[in-house]
Amino acid sequence: MVTPLETKHISKSYGNERVLSDINLSLNSNETLSILGRSGCGKTTLLKVLGGLESPDGGTVFVNQTDIQTLQPQDRDVVYLYQEALLFPHLTVFENIAFGLRLRKIDEKKVSKRTHTMIRKLQLNGMADRMPDQLSGGQKQRVSFGRALITNPSVLLLDEPFGNLDAYTRSNMQELFKQIANDLTITAVFVTHNVKEAILMGDRIGSISEGGLTIYPSVEAFVESEKNGVQEEIEFWQSIDKNTN
Amino acid sequence: MTSTVNIKSFWAKVLAATFIFPVAYLLVLSLAESWLFPELFPVSFTAERWSTLFSTNSELFNSLLLSLVVAVMVAFISTLSGFYTSKQLAYHRKRKLWMRLSYFPFVLSPVIYAAVLYYYFIELNLAGNIGGVILGHILIAYPYSVILFSGFWGNRTQRIEQLVQTLGGNRWQTYKHVFLPLAQGLLLICFFQTFLISWFEYGLTTIIGVGKVQTLTLKVFQYINEANFYNAALASSLLILPPIILLYFNKKYLFQKRW
Repeated sequence: MVTPLETKHISKSYGNERVLSDINLSLNSNETLSILGRSGCGKTTLLKVLGGLESPDGGTVFVNQTDIQTLQPQDRDVVYLYQEALLFPHLTVFENIAFGLRLRKIDEKKVSKRTHTMIRKLQLNGMADRMPDQLSGGQKQRVSFGRALITNPSVLLLDEPFGNLDAYTRSNMQELFKQIANDLTITAVFVTHNVKEAILMGDRIGSISEGGLTIYPSVEAFVESEKNGVQEEIEFWQSIDKNTN
Repeated sequence: MTSTVNIKSFWAKVLAATFIFPVAYLLVLSLAESWLFPELFPVSFTAERWSTLFSTNSELFNSLLLSLVVAVMVAFISTLSGFYTSKQLAYHRKRKLWMRLSYFPFVLSPVIYAAVLYYYFIELNLAGNIGGVILGHILIAYPYSVILFSGFWGNRTQRIEQLVQTLGGNRWQTYKHVFLPLAQGLLLICFFQTFLISWFEYGLTTIIGVGKVQTLTLKVFQYINEANFYNAALASSLLILPPIILLYFNKKYLFQKRW
């Protein structure tokens, strides 16, 4: 079975500061790996290295068991999604979603069919002709997902994609993402600093601390670990619970 | 409420009149056969000057064409190269130094700037010809364009560029489908401004052109020096025509925000 994403001994430093140290990971098809970590711990740097937007000091990245280290970002078949939706303000919802297909010069009929299917999946019916400034934050993020998913990339990299959304919209988007990731058999790395979100979104969970990545064998192992702040969070909610009862 | 509207409307008309009056005055003067003090209006009119403008070998018409070629070339080259250069500078590690240097041509007056560079223009055989004048104008318009576009290349634009790359777009596709449409309004404004810089340039054209490259602006000054007010008015009417046309086509970008 082909491994969609694998890294071996990735390291990266900025000046004297070591941000990533000997990072090894391997993802199965249709698997989402949540990576948790404090701000500035190197989560975004890791995603950028995987996407080809930053060069590592050492190590190798494999996509579908091919070494992609020397490939440009546009040739990696790895899409990077930012916290902001970053929709193109001069294009409609339809054209934003169809953007990747247009770059690949896909036949117009196929573009129309695939884009309308994606619009339905994203529950954006009737919004195809709207401009980005006519959408809410959640709708913009859905369009951003659609634009990333329509080309069916080998790996999707998500850098705190729901960070700017309110709690209700965030919860809806988490459900929607899980559903679409299953439908389209998406393999993804999901970076967040929210413990609950990491547990909800990931099939496996990892955390970055002092440049090193720890991938836990199960959710239980993750919860029991003292490194990632889960225990503090549990204690906090238990103390709230005690005080209110 | 109605009186407030009336006062606003009155002042709007006064403001419009102050802009329209000089243009109308020049037009009337260019059509006057004779207009001497203390006559309030010309005694008689003639279309002869305007008709000779379009006759063969009209010096003024040749100057008009020359000015158009120079200004369009300068605006086109400066806008596109400034757009590209500003991107390279924006993400360069010595960005601040380069941006400071791009203000250098504006520290000196264009005449002194031209005098300083004149030696090199002679050495390169560019003094006294149209190529030299275009290059001279670009030396002022290009840094202006770089400065104008520097605000476009922020962190957000860089993130958009990276996003387009991971979506599969190469450098050309990123420019074609994203950067150029996003900067459309700014590009048109820059083209308009650099066109005007070149169109009205006098001192630098005089020095680099050595009087051999007779642009329309030089013609206006020549007619004024000769006390030929009617021809000066005709040349001035031609001088303000292209900026008015460009202003009309650019008005939605100058006065409205598109996105």
